[in-house]
Amino acid sequence: MSQKPLLQINHLKTSFRIGDEYYAAVDDVSLTVNENEVVAIVGESGCGKSALALSIMKLHQPENTKIEGEIIFNGTNLVPLTIEEMNKFRGKEIGMVFQDPMTALNPLMRVGQQIEEGMKNHLKLSKEEMKKRAIDLLDKVGIPNPERTYYRYPHELSGGMRQRVVIAIAIACEPKLLIADEPTTALDVTIQAQILDLLKDMQKEMQTGIILITHDLGVVAEMADKVAVMYAGEIVEFADVETLFTNPLHPYTRSLFNSLPSAEHVQDRLHVIQGMVPSLKNLPRKGCRFADRIPWVDRSAHEENPEMREVEKGHWVRCTCWQHFDFPDEAEVKSYAIT
Amino acid sequence: MVKFIIKRILAMIPQLFILSLLVFMLTKAMPGDPISASFLNNPNLDPEVIEELKEKHGLNDPWYVQYTNWIKRLLQGDLGVSYVHKVKISKLLGERFANTVVLGAATLIISYLIAIPLGIIAGRYQDSLADKLIVGYNYFSYAVPLFVFALLMLFIFGFRLGWFPTSGSVDPQVTKGTLEYYLSRLHHLILPATTAALLSTVGTIQYLRSEIIDTKYQDFVKTARAKGTPEKYVYNRHILRNSLLPIAAFLGTDIVSILGGSIFIEQIFGYPGIGQLFISSILQRDYSVVVVLVMLSGFLAILGTLLSDIIMSIVDPRIRIEE
Amino acid sequence: MPLLKVENLKVYYPIRSGFFRLVRDYVKAVDGISFEIKEGETYGLVGESGCGKTTTGRTIIGLNKATDGHVYLNTNGDQVDLVKLSRKEFRKYRQDIQMIFQDPYSSLNIKKRVRDIIAEPLRNFEKLTPEEEEQRVIDALEKVGLGPDSMYKYPHQFSGGQRQRIGIARALVINPKLIIADEPVSALDVSVQAQVLNFMKDIQKEFNLSYLFISHDLGVVRHMCDRIGIMYKGRLVEEGTAEDIFENPQHLYTKRLLSAIPNINPKKRYENQRLREQINREFVEKSREFFDEEGRIYDLKPISSTHSVAIP
Repeated sequence: MSQKPLLQINHLKTSFRIGDEYYAAVDDVSLTVNENEVVAIVGESGCGKSALALSIMKLHQPENTKIEGEIIFNGTNLVPLTIEEMNKFRGKEIGMVFQDPMTALNPLMRVGQQIEEGMKNHLKLSKEEMKKRAIDLLDKVGIPNPERTYYRYPHELSGGMRQRVVIAIAIACEPKLLIADEPTTALDVTIQAQILDLLKDMQKEMQTGIILITHDLGVVAEMADKVAVMYAGEIVEFADVETLFTNPLHPYTRSLFNSLPSAEHVQDRLHVIQGMVPSLKNLPRKGCRFADRIPWVDRSAHEENPEMREVEKGHWVRCTCWQHFDFPDEAEVKSYAIT
Repeated sequence: MVKFIIKRILAMIPQLFILSLLVFMLTKAMPGDPISASFLNNPNLDPEVIEELKEKHGLNDPWYVQYTNWIKRLLQGDLGVSYVHKVKISKLLGERFANTVVLGAATLIISYLIAIPLGIIAGRYQDSLADKLIVGYNYFSYAVPLFVFALLMLFIFGFRLGWFPTSGSVDPQVTKGTLEYYLSRLHHLILPATTAALLSTVGTIQYLRSEIIDTKYQDFVKTARAKGTPEKYVYNRHILRNSLLPIAAFLGTDIVSILGGSIFIEQIFGYPGIGQLFISSILQRDYSVVVVLVMLSGFLAILGTLLSDIIMSIVDPRIRIEE
Repeated sequence: MPLLKVENLKVYYPIRSGFFRLVRDYVKAVDGISFEIKEGETYGLVGESGCGKTTTGRTIIGLNKATDGHVYLNTNGDQVDLVKLSRKEFRKYRQDIQMIFQDPYSSLNIKKRVRDIIAEPLRNFEKLTPEEEEQRVIDALEKVGLGPDSMYKYPHQFSGGQRQRIGIARALVINPKLIIADEPVSALDVSVQAQVLNFMKDIQKEFNLSYLFISHDLGVVRHMCDRIGIMYKGRLVEEGTAEDIFENPQHLYTKRLLSAIPNINPKKRYENQRLREQINREFVEKSREFFDEEGRIYDLKPISSTHSVAIP
């Protein structure tokens, strides 16, 4: 596998305005995606994973958003670019797949037109060439009868078929990087499996780098080469997928695994993480951000300014508290219970 | 599509029938009658003569006899005769109807010409100074009563500045059919049409503004931007087209409101159209005319909703007309 | 005697067309399904969107009208067929069955205080003095682990998990015997989901509740359910204990559904993908063995004392 970095995110901080103040939803995130590599970013709602994805494409409302730090794509820092300059990358170098195929397509445009729009923006092709390419793409993403689907409107297709169209749009100009933001969350399991398999096949064939945003650890296990776990705007753990699934270290990662009901082995009770995810306005900005949710771990176990450290080769964990963390028994949890 | 339209038109028949019955009975329930009304200022007339005239015109028959007679004639294409003007209603309507349609169409066009760009600016540059000014104008046009504003316009541009004529639909001295004639008509049209248009933009602006604000944040707009589509096209191809849908749906009902809206404007600007005729007919108890006019507006209302449905089915692929 | 016995339930929606809106055909949302729920048991109804699982739940509670079949509810030793009851008679039994909805954000009226939300079923079914009502609301809140001070708050002041618990408190307040839970955790994050699931298990034990658990998430279903029915195209394709279904699936559709669950073990991903491909091929090749000439799913046939499969 090639190890040439495709995207390098350095100290990225994305802040949103609430009232007159800016609050960082992504706080000091650094991450590298190599060519031909699938990096999953996993976390619960509000952890900043989607904000991170949109920051790379600069798709936030500019009047309410502040992006600081560096996003270096193939040698170009995207952060200072204007929208016009950014448009040279969007769709051409970086493609994006969105969560909800029901709303991600323009209801008034035919499927074919929507696929061709990206080509029109970036490639100098004739009408016939574009049409041929669009039909080829529809075929490639596994849509039966692509010639007819080319003329269809989105509402005439099922959710799974629409998501295939969304993927066809994203790969229309053969981007080097694909950002998939919860690409299967809105779909049924059998359709989810088909879409994941499709993404895997595409990735192998086109050698694309993929950033996969998801809350579903199962999807991560099926797709990713490397995984970044995000909590409260920060990456708390980063490792290759097998390491993370066999030897998760950060208390948050371990808690997530323990709260997951599984179809494979049955347990009576699931682990419940204490308290709740803090809102953007109330994110703890100092110390270990997960400390409040593991109150039985002694304060001294946390670092004052928690940093990502490489604890084994390629396995990074934030804060020192993981060395002192263990799950308490249930009675103990109850005594800390906050409702 | 053709089948659908025929079906809808067939469905109109019972609706119109009920409407006609209702209107007919209401006019009969109104106090007074056209014969008495036309001799109101003539106390010397023998009441027996009035009775005789009433009998002759069938006004003393029970209402259902009068109604069936009227419907029979209507089905033969005979709208009846105006008691007051003593001419066939079809003749009375002819020119006035054309006038009203021209005025209404002009109002609608001017209204859209103002409202659509303003709505787009307000929606796209939400909370900017321009947006605030446009919203301010909206509140103003919503709050100001039509007759106050119309009188003001008439006073300023008609009387004080003398730019536009203050009554009529055409200069009576020009010959019909010449270029001069059409220019004169246009000249007479501008002031009433602009006045009505300025006050009727409120719905369109408000709707378009909030539709654009809504559409701006939709996922498919993100998809469009993620393809690297320039902002110009993001707005024209994606946001605007989707935002104009409800406006298109209103077009049908807007066309109908031409008739209703014309009443005040025509009265104030002395513009000889349907609205003016409607008011004078009510005042003079000219039932036969009132009934026909109400029927006409009812017919247009039903036609308007049909038109809206057809327009929607053309502009929005999600709405398909079945059979 | 089971608490609830559904027998050959059918819910058809007419397709009308033409000038006189004549019924030309039917959408068979639920097409003859039968199952039983015992007291204190959790029965899982599983399937993908459009399979009829939600319609089944809504029909049992009277939100949809059954076209045919029976829904017998056991009340104090008597069996009442809910399908046969008039709307008015049904009300008497409605308090035995309550429902929890998928989205805690939209199923609670945001303009009402928690007290009024929870008291709503009480006001519908019982005549209480304000003091009695308040006590019942406090009790219900306590059951779901919320303090009495939550009574005067509004739904937006709570987190997603807490809101779902308010929904459960509303269902619990009139002491139902059966709770129909329609995708109760699908809108929640994993950690919150765990909280709600644990909690549902706790109150089940405490009050001997029965659940009809409707879900598409097989992990959650395995965790929660004693017995499971797999639905596809308005019919049951397989029914059995959780173990029957997960360890020994027989119907092609069940296998396909199970193979689609992402495997939490990254080492097995290619193996899984191949398995899925193979099952998808079989699904086309062997469809005659599992669907009749009209493409309809066969009736269930028992293959063990607990396990039934739709085969010819």
